Amino acid sequence: MGLIEVYIQEVTRRLPEKNRDDIARELKSTIEDMLPGEYSDENVETVLERLGSPAALAEGYRDRSRYLIGPRYFDAYISLLKMILPIAATISLIVLAAENIVGYDNNTSVLNMIILLIAEGIWGIIVVGMQVFFWLTVVFAIIERVYKSDDIKPLTPNLTEWKVEDLKHIPLISKQKAIPKYEVYGSLIWTAIWATVYFYADYLVGIYRSGSEGLVFITPTFNETVLIHYWPLILLLVGLEISLSIYKLIERQWTKKMAWFNAVLQTAASAGFIAIINNPKLFTPEFLAFMARVFQVSISDLLSWITIGGIIIFLASAAFVIFDGFRKAKI
Amino acid sequence: MNTLLNSMLIELRRGTLTLAVLSRLQVPRYGYSLVQLLEQSGIAIDQSTLYPLLRRLEKQGLVTSSWDNSDSRPRKYYVLSEEGTSIFDQLKQEWLAHSGKLLHILNEEEHHGVD
Repeated sequence: MGLIEVYIQEVTRRLPEKNRDDIARELKSTIEDMLPGEYSDENVETVLERLGSPAALAEGYRDRSRYLIGPRYFDAYISLLKMILPIAATISLIVLAAENIVGYDNNTSVLNMIILLIAEGIWGIIVVGMQVFFWLTVVFAIIERVYKSDDIKPLTPNLTEWKVEDLKHIPLISKQKAIPKYEVYGSLIWTAIWATVYFYADYLVGIYRSGSEGLVFITPTFNETVLIHYWPLILLLVGLEISLSIYKLIERQWTKKMAWFNAVLQTAASAGFIAIINNPKLFTPEFLAFMARVFQVSISDLLSWITIGGIIIFLASAAFVIFDGFRKAKI
Repeated sequence: MNTLLNSMLIELRRGTLTLAVLSRLQVPRYGYSLVQLLEQSGIAIDQSTLYPLLRRLEKQGLVTSSWDNSDSRPRKYYVLSEEGTSIFDQLKQEWLAHSGKLLHILNEEEHHGVD
């Protein structure tokens, strides 16, 4: 007798309060119907075995399937998650880089700082990722419950029904024009690296000599005060580069507008480069003296080689990048 | 049994189960009597599917239910409502027409073979 009551309880405790009594009564009468007039414990066990798992039976009695996010919203949920996660991670990295450039502290060694930045970067991405995942899931779980629908056709990420019209707003992306995601994230990381190196140049870029305790930093290449002097220009370039990366992320392929944006960015970068490299105080005298000794040339010759060589290489690569952008946009 | 075959068989039978249950409810019956009746006709039914199905049909207004307390054991009887009868008739017509077409296709395939 006891087993039957427990079985019924196991079914009904999974059901809404208002249906419990009636279902329990019906279940009891059904189980008794299935049993012979005089029954043993084994008979009861056989009958309950036939009825199967109480959870499965309760699932049958429930009207709605139990989803956190059902088929109607799942596709939109996943699309948004894929769209937001990388953007949030990138923003967290940019904020981290900005914080460290602004509030830098020269007591820590460069190596320690790099390790610290990488660790903080990874931790930041994990935290931001969890936040995005949590809040997006909560929002969709609420939408699922508030806007109940028997319709299980998936909605688009705009939370509307799919229409043929939608196709007109989606570009067909050809392989040659497409901008792969890794390229965008790679260029964002590159921006972060060069900006960091620029602002920490007097710790990172210079002449090293291998000594008994590994590499020893002897003298910096650049005059940091000169570099810092150009900070508004650098900030502008960083801003333009990040904007271009986000633009690429949204468009996913080269367009004419993007090629023009790219051309403006490359021109601004070239102009900035020429202005900075032409500053007579850019290089430290120690660096120039050292290099002139190594190559056995006069300091003024060395300076003009570096300036002209640097400008030619920079302009050539900028021209190539501009040309490549227009070529891809034309395909 | 092959699990793929098994799941396809379950899918195949799912729709017909409602029809089978509706056909037996032209007179009032209680849950277990329905199981026995269907099993006698060779239609195996999972009991954990049948009892919830009866309640769902009641909620949809296709059957009505009443408790009979006259016997020593109270039983819940289900019977087709007016709407249930009309829907059952339409489903039955649809099923007969559909199975006729299906039979035709299956026979055709048997006679001519497939390329």
